[in-house]
Amino acid sequence: MNKALEGLKVLDLTWVVVGPTAVRVLADYGATVVHVETGTRVDTARTAPPFRDSKPGPESSACFNNGNAGKLGLLLNLRVPEARTVLTRLIEWADVLAENFTPHVMRRWGLDYESVRAINPRIIYLSASMMGQEGPYSNLAAIGNVGAALGGFTNVVGWPDRQPSGPGGAYTDYVASKYITISLLAALEYRDRTGEGQYIDLAQAETAVHFLAPAYLDVQVNGRLPETHGNRSPEHAPHGVFPCLGHEQWIAIAVEDEAQWTALARIIGRPELAEDPSLQSVLGRQARLEELEAAIAAWTATVEPGKAEALLVAAGVPAHAALDSPAAVADPQLNHRGHFVPVEHAQWDSMVVEGSRFRLGRTPAAITAGGPTFGQHNDTVLRDILGIDDATITDLAIAGAFD
Amino acid sequence: MPPTGSETGVAAPLSGVRVLDLANEWGILAGNVLADLGADVVAVEPPAGSTARRLGPFRDDSGRAEDSLFWLAYARNKRGISLAIDTPDGLELLLRLVRDADVLIESFAPGWLAGIGLGYDVLAAANPRLIQVSVSPFGQDGPKANWPATDLTVTAASNYLLASGDPDRPPLHVPYHQAYLHAGTEAASGCLVAIRERRRSGLGQLVDVSAQEAMTSCTQSFILSSAWNDVSFFRLPPGPTRVKVGLSGVYPAKDGAVVIGFFFGSGLGPLAVKFMHWVYEEGMCDERDRDKDWVNYMALLNSGEETVEELDRVRGVLERFTSSKTKQELLEGSLSRGLLLSPAFTVKDVIESPQMAHRGYWQRTATGDKSVQYPGPFARFSASPLQYGPPAPSIGEHNAAILGGELGLGQRELEALAARGVV
Repeated sequence: MNKALEGLKVLDLTWVVVGPTAVRVLADYGATVVHVETGTRVDTARTAPPFRDSKPGPESSACFNNGNAGKLGLLLNLRVPEARTVLTRLIEWADVLAENFTPHVMRRWGLDYESVRAINPRIIYLSASMMGQEGPYSNLAAIGNVGAALGGFTNVVGWPDRQPSGPGGAYTDYVASKYITISLLAALEYRDRTGEGQYIDLAQAETAVHFLAPAYLDVQVNGRLPETHGNRSPEHAPHGVFPCLGHEQWIAIAVEDEAQWTALARIIGRPELAEDPSLQSVLGRQARLEELEAAIAAWTATVEPGKAEALLVAAGVPAHAALDSPAAVADPQLNHRGHFVPVEHAQWDSMVVEGSRFRLGRTPAAITAGGPTFGQHNDTVLRDILGIDDATITDLAIAGAFD
Repeated sequence: MPPTGSETGVAAPLSGVRVLDLANEWGILAGNVLADLGADVVAVEPPAGSTARRLGPFRDDSGRAEDSLFWLAYARNKRGISLAIDTPDGLELLLRLVRDADVLIESFAPGWLAGIGLGYDVLAAANPRLIQVSVSPFGQDGPKANWPATDLTVTAASNYLLASGDPDRPPLHVPYHQAYLHAGTEAASGCLVAIRERRRSGLGQLVDVSAQEAMTSCTQSFILSSAWNDVSFFRLPPGPTRVKVGLSGVYPAKDGAVVIGFFFGSGLGPLAVKFMHWVYEEGMCDERDRDKDWVNYMALLNSGEETVEELDRVRGVLERFTSSKTKQELLEGSLSRGLLLSPAFTVKDVIESPQMAHRGYWQRTATGDKSVQYPGPFARFSASPLQYGPPAPSIGEHNAAILGGELGLGQRELEALAARGVV
């Protein structure tokens, strides 16, 4: 087995979605990741759907298992003083520590970077938060959909005749997560070259700005604030999501040029629109978008999304059905890529998680296990990795360190 | 104090790493990330300019390649050359550059590079240490690998399209090319894993990124719903949706909008209770609304003790409250009371944010005749802070420095290549 990150040791104190998802990438490529959690305050991800057979339960969350696949699970209650001896050993062991508590929490526990660095000077320590570790808004209780509001995203998603609706879910979590992975790998590269560890302070709102960078330039250069345009695009027309035959069936269609427009107009049974010279430019089509969108929708409403997609794609028009979960799980492309990976799990016979979102040709990801059950690897971590003797483990357990 | 600069003279994580960035809009952010980390990223554009330059908005709405704010944002910190790699001379020059490069990023249609004689096997033969990063809508292989695609259609294929929008209208796309950007960050991660692995093996490899897969993480595992025998939240009818997300959502403020996280349950329910106390203190709701069992409200709805209609009535109460306040008043209340609430900041609000000013986030870069604040470091590194150099290159801006200075082409040769449309 040829694993790209074999030998890398990661102490994962993250929870919920943004941190665990980012750190999982390291586990996918062979790092040993010890994921620390406590049973006294259950990780929100364990209470998040989807659930196995629709039944909520801390070992039944796809959100938790997908975000923590392949990690070793250690139950350790950091609020109990005795647990700190174990954590100190883990800090000595680790190359990387990652956490995403509210900014004051690690400081309150005496686990700020200075204290951790005193134990392991080479450690890479990443703190992820919504607004950053200090500053007037640093303690804003901000999770989930609120992050999009802070990063400028809420106001760019919506219909022009309504209040903005914002992006679905905890959108900026999914952006920040990717920059966390990048930051950890970059700091490792720096340490490989210099021997120096360092502290990384990552603010989710600051990463989100990168995903709206052109809008941030537009307001300064042109004095223009972004407006909501539904699904319309400044570059392409028509550009939208149209209803298909069936309940909640939709197809996305984007016309990039005149050849695609001509093909689309013929497919929807409107050859006269294909031949209309005033529609042979983006500006011409944009001027009549309501009429053109209605013409497209009149056709899509009579066709199943798969059939509409096949006709349009065959004619070179970018189009794709808006896949719901059953359609995505059956999607031939995602399955060809091995996107859905059956893995083992301590409590369930089988489980499906997502694969790596990039493929390395020579040293591919190896994803074999779901997330750990509560304390599943306490023995492995305490005895095998840290070499703590049984008597000490018993004392720690009596003190409540593993609650 | 944390170390604030390297004592070893290495300024940045990727100092000395040479990246040839052939990516168009599909992979453009990858090179931007690597450049921020200190790599020497050379954007290689066709002589007519990258197709990424066709994406707006544009300076003064000109529509011109040099005015694309998409290009200016994501080619910052890169240098640039123009090269027609699909000509024999261009191909030869690219291969010479590949010999000394660490990374090549491309996002052409799958198979296009191989078709002009620059497949990964050819590049790896020229330089076995080369890491090739290929970004595409659906990945390099599979039944949809060559489907026509855009940011919108790939998002539809990722399941995330169904996550946004109002229940009575079609699902909504998040604008500003999010799928391209997610693919770009995945490409940067894959590249960094390959760089670390190369330290041990001495060998490069091919990194294959699918934008469809990159976007699936935005579903927060809901894409797995049917594989887990559960139902996704996306586009549930209004009743069940409200039961599941509580009263969370976008509300009107006096001068804009505000986003509230108002959830039931023991984890976040107490924040909803705190919020209701504020509404009560301001005389905008009665004790009965304040003292509903918001933590256990889901159970009350399920038992029929409370109804979705009643929840709608309280939503109206909250709307009246938020409408009576400015964004600033709402922000101050959220900060002082520890609520899960934030004004929907406009991009102008974010630029003027005292939080980001405190952190010194924005980075000024000359853009035409203006000094413009660009997004700053995506993370603050104590020992190797991200560094910002030149603005995005014009087409062929560094031809003389790179093709002349590094490959040793003379002025006359460059002119001859230009005359033949190679540079």
